[in-house]
Amino acid sequence: MRVLLAASALAAAAAPTSAFAVDYLSAEQAARLMFPEADAFEARPLTLDAAQLQQLDAQGVRGRSANWAVHAARRGGATLGFVVTDEVIGKFELISYAVGIALDGTVKQIEILSYRESHGFEVRLPAWRKQFVGKGSAAALRVGDDIANISGATLSCTHVTDGVRRIVAVVALARRAGLLT
Amino acid sequence: MTSHRLRALPAKTILAASLALAASAAFAQTPTEAELARRLDQLAAELAAVKAQLAQMQQERAAPAPAAAPAPTAPASGFGVTAPAASAGTATPAMAAAAPSGPATVLSSYGEITYTRPTKSSVNTQADVARFVLGYQHRFDAKTKVVAELEVEHAVSSADDAGEVEVEQAYVEYQITPTLAVQGGLFLLPMGLLNGNHEPTAYYGVQRNFVETAIIPSTWREGGFQLVGTYDNGLTVQGGITTTFDLSKWDAASTEGKDSPLGSIHQELSLAKAHDLAAFGALNWRGVPGLLLGGSLFSSQATQGQTAEKARITLWEAHARWTPGRWDFQSVYSRGTISNTAVLNTPLVGNPTLIPSSFDGYYVLGAYKVWSHEDYSLTPFARWEHVNTTRSYADLGPGLTPEASGGQRIVTVGANLNITQGVVLKADYQQFRDSPDQNRVNLGLGWNF
Repeated sequence: MRVLLAASALAAAAAPTSAFAVDYLSAEQAARLMFPEADAFEARPLTLDAAQLQQLDAQGVRGRSANWAVHAARRGGATLGFVVTDEVIGKFELISYAVGIALDGTVKQIEILSYRESHGFEVRLPAWRKQFVGKGSAAALRVGDDIANISGATLSCTHVTDGVRRIVAVVALARRAGLLT
Repeated sequence: MTSHRLRALPAKTILAASLALAASAAFAQTPTEAELARRLDQLAAELAAVKAQLAQMQQERAAPAPAAAPAPTAPASGFGVTAPAASAGTATPAMAAAAPSGPATVLSSYGEITYTRPTKSSVNTQADVARFVLGYQHRFDAKTKVVAELEVEHAVSSADDAGEVEVEQAYVEYQITPTLAVQGGLFLLPMGLLNGNHEPTAYYGVQRNFVETAIIPSTWREGGFQLVGTYDNGLTVQGGITTTFDLSKWDAASTEGKDSPLGSIHQELSLAKAHDLAAFGALNWRGVPGLLLGGSLFSSQATQGQTAEKARITLWEAHARWTPGRWDFQSVYSRGTISNTAVLNTPLVGNPTLIPSSFDGYYVLGAYKVWSHEDYSLTPFARWEHVNTTRSYADLGPGLTPEASGGQRIVTVGANLNITQGVVLKADYQQFRDSPDQNRVNLGLGWNF
């Protein structure tokens, strides 16, 4: 376990968005890239209860958190899909990313919002991110299985991949439970 | 920033406690516990909302100028600081903020404990805390961070023990542009596959491969500056100026130079002679998922002004790694040369270890993950190496020129068993084709976080 000595989650959220280059996209920009046809993105904050977290655990997905930042991409009142933003630790630093989920539950697109590690920036490359497109709950979504590793960036690859797998499962669970429409 | 932290920590503590309790409540079986879990979730959500409001206030305070009220574009957006934030185990992103910022210090460590039993001389069986490393990264601001590692080799370092305490890395990195950073200090040379990724969880086998210890003297670091460029086509370009080896301390009476010509004369920025400096460059391309192709070159004068004669050391290498699915294929070739060795060796004639004019080695490795379950995985591997630390000597005349060797061929067969992402158990057998007396069985335990 890496010990975060100074940066608190609150400080992280409270800090002004850095305009510096490691911040590649805002969540909103990413959502618009994922669903360019959308005319609105509606916040659908998601809170899973204990039983739902247990279900995730039973699926082999560590839900970790009850609360998820989800936005529905909408057009003409119809839902096109969902955008989930999240963060994971690479080796030393937090990686912010967004996952677009299509209505069939598969990954439509992923975007890296910020990346600060000295190594492994290649998780940003389209070729690596495209590996996730079209994969859903039935896919392994694991590095060294259906997702190719990036040499020298194993931790970043693994943790982003684990995060995407978790988000796919969370959205599927929430939709089954009627929490996301 | 400090004030942020002081205000933030209690809130984080509460949030962390709430989430921890919420997570533990996931296992609750009774209605009362479930209700408690729901309330904790609610509390976490409310705290997230407070946090978002605080973020908004601080953003307003940080940017009082009316300036850039961004005109809302096309789609109506629910993205904003008022959106409840989520957390996936590590942090809580505000939807409007692409990235967290602010100072952060992260501790890291790796270590490896080894057991080596020569099959033909069990009396030499040895167990060792080969390495124990503590490190940290501290980010001063969005552009600037320092990375340092302190290593203890062989558990104990004292006047009576063989161990060493050493600073393995200590550099500051500054991000100049989105694609260009500069590092200054003591850093690892970007050569081969192992030197920059030398943690026990990152390579196969109990012991590091011979090519990247005998030819490329891992863990090889120098003091200086380097530029690191990263590009959207998958290319990483590195180049810099550093300290280098000290050829004037070549010990011809020792066999250390035959084990690793450059390892025997490295300086590790310990009161390093810096009369001569080196230039290096490295290219790595990762444009296709699972594929890494790269190469590097290092060159410098290396007598450090200690002798009348000059000599140039040049080391280059090429490497490739391909990881399709469960397979992992790796290969490295490296070659070093030292110029003007005839003059340097002349006064050393009669000693067992003269300075070679060239040395090289390569390996090929194949591994396949035969079994995995959650974070467990078992990956057998086989590696073939051919290392020659005395490929050639400069001519000193009949009867005086040392005989170049054919090198050493080593086959290593074994497996890595990861029991979680950061912990690995290793076992292998190494066959030394040209000196069977060295055949050995190795067991190892390693970790990295």
